Amino acid sequence: MSGTARRAATARRAARARTAARRVASAALTLLVVSALTYAVFYLLPADPAQLSCGKPCTPERLQQAREFMALDRSVPRQYLDFLSGLVSGRSFGTGPAAVRCPAPCLGYSFRLDRPVVDLMADRLPVTVSIALGAAVLWLLLGVGAGVAAAVRPRTLLDRGVMTLAVAGVSTPTYLLGLLGILLFGFTVHVLPVSGYVPLTEDPAAWAQHLVLPWCVLAAVFAAVYARLTRGQLLEVLQEDHIRAARARGLRERRVVGIHGLRNVLLPVVSVLGPDLGGLLGGAVITEHVFSLPGLGSLLLDAVGSVDLPLVVGITLLSAFLIIVANAVVDLCYGLLDPRVSG
Amino acid sequence: MKRHPLRATAAALTGLVLAACGTSSSGGAPASSSTAAARGGSLFVLTTSSSVTLDPAKSQNLAITTLGLIYRRLTTWDIAPGRPPTVVPDLATDTGTASDGGRTWTYHLKDGLQYADGTPITAADVRYGVERSFAAELSGGLSYHKTLLAGGTAYKGPYTGQDLPAIETPDARTIVFHLATAYGDWPWIVSMPAFAPVPRAKDTSPTSYATHPAASGPYQVDSYHQGSALVLTRNPHWDARTDPVRTGGPDKITFQLGQDRSVVAQRLIADSGDDRSAFGASFVPPAQLAQVSRDAGAKQRLVTSDPGALAYLAINTRRPALADVRVRQAIEYGVDKHAYQVASGGELAGGLATTLITPGIPGRVAYDLYPEEPSGDVAKARQLLAAAGTPALSLSLLVDSESNSAAQAQAIQQALQRVGITVTIRQLDDEAWTAAATGAAGDYDLTLSSWQPDFPSANGNLQPLFATSEIGGGGYNLARYSRPEVDALIARATGETDHAAAQALWAQADRRILQDAPVVPLIYTRNSFLHGSKVADFFVAGFPAYPDYLRVSLRR
Amino acid sequence: MPASLAAPGLVGQVLRQARGWRRDLWTAGAGAVVATCVVVALAAPLLTAVEGQDPFTYHPDTLDASGAPAGPGGGIGPTHWFGVEPLTGRDLFAVVVHGARTSLGIGLAATALAVGLGVAAGATAGFLGGWYDRLTTRVIDVLLGFPTLVFMIALGAIAPTDLPRPLLVVLVVGGFGWPSVARVVRGQTLSLRQRGFVLASTAMGAGRGHVLVRQVLPHLTVTVVVYTTLLVPQMIATEAALSFLGVGVPPPTPSWGRAIGDAVAWVSTDPAFLAFPGGALFLLTLALTVLGDGLQDRLAPRTADRTADRTADRTADRSGPREAR
Repeated sequence: MSGTARRAATARRAARARTAARRVASAALTLLVVSALTYAVFYLLPADPAQLSCGKPCTPERLQQAREFMALDRSVPRQYLDFLSGLVSGRSFGTGPAAVRCPAPCLGYSFRLDRPVVDLMADRLPVTVSIALGAAVLWLLLGVGAGVAAAVRPRTLLDRGVMTLAVAGVSTPTYLLGLLGILLFGFTVHVLPVSGYVPLTEDPAAWAQHLVLPWCVLAAVFAAVYARLTRGQLLEVLQEDHIRAARARGLRERRVVGIHGLRNVLLPVVSVLGPDLGGLLGGAVITEHVFSLPGLGSLLLDAVGSVDLPLVVGITLLSAFLIIVANAVVDLCYGLLDPRVSG
Repeated sequence: MKRHPLRATAAALTGLVLAACGTSSSGGAPASSSTAAARGGSLFVLTTSSSVTLDPAKSQNLAITTLGLIYRRLTTWDIAPGRPPTVVPDLATDTGTASDGGRTWTYHLKDGLQYADGTPITAADVRYGVERSFAAELSGGLSYHKTLLAGGTAYKGPYTGQDLPAIETPDARTIVFHLATAYGDWPWIVSMPAFAPVPRAKDTSPTSYATHPAASGPYQVDSYHQGSALVLTRNPHWDARTDPVRTGGPDKITFQLGQDRSVVAQRLIADSGDDRSAFGASFVPPAQLAQVSRDAGAKQRLVTSDPGALAYLAINTRRPALADVRVRQAIEYGVDKHAYQVASGGELAGGLATTLITPGIPGRVAYDLYPEEPSGDVAKARQLLAAAGTPALSLSLLVDSESNSAAQAQAIQQALQRVGITVTIRQLDDEAWTAAATGAAGDYDLTLSSWQPDFPSANGNLQPLFATSEIGGGGYNLARYSRPEVDALIARATGETDHAAAQALWAQADRRILQDAPVVPLIYTRNSFLHGSKVADFFVAGFPAYPDYLRVSLRR
Repeated sequence: MPASLAAPGLVGQVLRQARGWRRDLWTAGAGAVVATCVVVALAAPLLTAVEGQDPFTYHPDTLDASGAPAGPGGGIGPTHWFGVEPLTGRDLFAVVVHGARTSLGIGLAATALAVGLGVAAGATAGFLGGWYDRLTTRVIDVLLGFPTLVFMIALGAIAPTDLPRPLLVVLVVGGFGWPSVARVVRGQTLSLRQRGFVLASTAMGAGRGHVLVRQVLPHLTVTVVVYTTLLVPQMIATEAALSFLGVGVPPPTPSWGRAIGDAVAWVSTDPAFLAFPGGALFLLTLALTVLGDGLQDRLAPRTADRTADRTADRTADRSGPREAR
């Protein structure tokens, strides 16, 4: 390689490194802001977490004792700083042999459930991942497939039918679909279990059986969105000059659509899939609530109801982090898939 | 911590007249085909709680539910349908010997008691269990004993290196308690979870003791996944001959956590697969009660309790608008108790209430200070309001977000609208409601609540709700009611060791308090539960209005 | 100024396209349904007066002992056209008709707020660029990263009691909805900035403010209109989801979401209780979506440069909080 080429390559690498560093810095800043906002919002809640640890009957002395133990008697900014330092070096509550230890990185300690937040989230993550990934596979196959089928045969019965279903899917709330699904498949025809989760490692068949309804319900709604998206994009792409040129050159229709058409549709689908999946991985609150699945979403809902601030902050941060990662991955894909952008 | 649904203030109200069939005779039929409990099988308990507090120091469980399966205490409750509850010896040989005018209580442990690992249960273990409940790290459980034991308010727990001198263990099988004042109901207090024995050697890490606690009851903890399931398996060293109230029927008990109330009820109605060996730990909601009334098979498996808790509307007596007793009496007459009953699910939700002490509590005297039609007395209410000089009022009503609360709150709102009081409903989540209602600020005019005493004595009905010491700071005196003569009356009744005399004093206090109209008694709630077709010995008595987990078994 | 250089009037465009609308029966039908819903919502008191009921009064005599409606079909009859609610006996027709007011009112207001904030933020960010643009993008990213549904619940609990609840719901739902609008508008503005007429205008000495308001905004109008019609059903659905979870508009104000939440448990004994409010919500959302699609097909500008726009346009479907799933 010549000297100029080498210098150009080094310059590009340095530029990429700088961009990467900037991204990481901005991601960290975003997470910081999210955590600060969460703290602010939840501290304003008219509930006293120390009350939960007070016992029944609760005396003012015991309440004060509980507050001191949970470090709630400190000022709010001080508590936030404690939280930040805990991320790095872990935290301790109380003194002596009964002291509670939360090892680094300590995203908080849930006094209600007696465990560090990180452990609680780790327990629930497999459930949420199972739900999200399973539904994603289903909706991609169904949605993109239906969208492509509709786009290659525009204005036929197939197209109209698919798009009608899609519009209906977009207009239906998940909770309604879920509850009706439970009623139909769980109680009227006893083929599927209506609630609960069985780990994949324990019994794959039961795992799938318990997740079929949630997958279908989530996939139905998302597939509708993706079908519309895919059809719209593909229709536009198929009008474009280079497609007409390919057809004119005599390429087979399937090749035209498959290679040239889909490649251009891939980008929008990926850019939408990223945040969608990122959001679902943070917990599909309503779906988990309806199907009583012990995922991150129901943990979060529980935590908000019980004013379990450390848990709320922890899950919110995880959710924000997943969205950031998803966006970063999407941008990366943009760079790889669309030569016009990466240039 | 997510409180066990047995917490009184969270009692959701249900009810349905299974009119023609009268299936659920009060208390429910213990439908078992044999007198001896059948052994074996895997029982499922479906519950809406997403977590179970396994540490006895932190638990607020009733003695006959979850933790009663794992831990034995000095005494326990003997519950049977159709008769009042009694306290019976559990680990101890009797319910306690009182001396020194009721200020000292002595217990002797039975012979041959062992934990699940075979080690013997000693009095020192019981002492240690009580002491560790005082530690700040383990607070949150039932705390009646913490103020009753001498020096309890100052004691900080055994982890500071100090012991509690009020508890003595002269030998391995004797334990003596020294109380700060005479307390006739102490035998009920030692049936609470904090009095479960905890071996000091196993309490190396107090906050994680509960993951594998030392089991003294018929079952031990096999696994616990928060939000998912709690699995209990047999304790091989539990001796049924020493245990009068537990039958240890099923081989394995699985608690399915985090379920939806309505779905649980529908699963039990459908009664298929594993659900045949299951019962619901949560009340059956009105919608499903309506469904049950149309399903002959399900009707057989519905069990309704006797009236248990008191559902009431608390009036914040400290607010200037509500300071005048005539305004509060106007609210008494204005409220439509019948509409509230319907909103709670109908007649089987419970009968209309007129007293503060609930039916079934020994010594209760029935009376009606504010006689009116079930739908209230609008004319009289308006009259009283006019006399007080406030013909129109605007009040806020605080409710928690249990499933029926919206309908119930709206019933109150509608009723008070008729007499000229505009009510704004403010709905808060369970814990937020607790903080707002029991906190120091007291920023509400009205609030709906229900209360079941933690032990069946009139003391439990009146003192926590109407004593001045229970205002704010987590106390349940939601009406913020304070009268020195009432406090004196309560103190006299508490210290009285002669039961008949005490009961007379409590009845007197009941009537005296209601004269000031700090609360409007609404209904005495009855709770309904469903069980699967293979579940036997399932019943719900009057107190507590929850199923007795300790006797449930499975039919083969 | 020659007509070709002037910003195309929206009215002119609509009129030109209107002739094509007669061919598209679906969109016309959807438009009719939406119009009917609006009329029903506005005329709610009149309709309930005709029926002789209101959505607040209890009718315990219409219920049987278990709290379920006594008559067939959930108590449908000449006095109660849609039947009654279980446990309270309230007239369901009145609840549905007044609930339309709540849903449409909050949906439209929240959309207006989201679009207003979103256009303001997005257009200025895209046009002005620099640190302001970076800051706005950062804020958008942060807001899009929140588990919004949960925060709406929390904010509902914090709010002071004297703040009227419907206003709070509008503020919260609209407040969490503006980032996606802003993102789309910013993308459009970025591409419009390079267009000939904008450059020409700037070259002729027009100030930035003038160019933004007079040249760029009108070109955004069509996108905004289309986006708005697709946003309204999202906002309505979000309000319904909040009410379903019990944190939306409080009783006694009728709300479709709350009625659906209550009705689900009663499906086996009183399906009408779910069918009417659920059907109404579904129908309105469906009609708005079809209408939005129709408008998009008719009015979406065929801009030359689509790389950035493409994904932005079609993300309208997901502008509601992700966790409303």
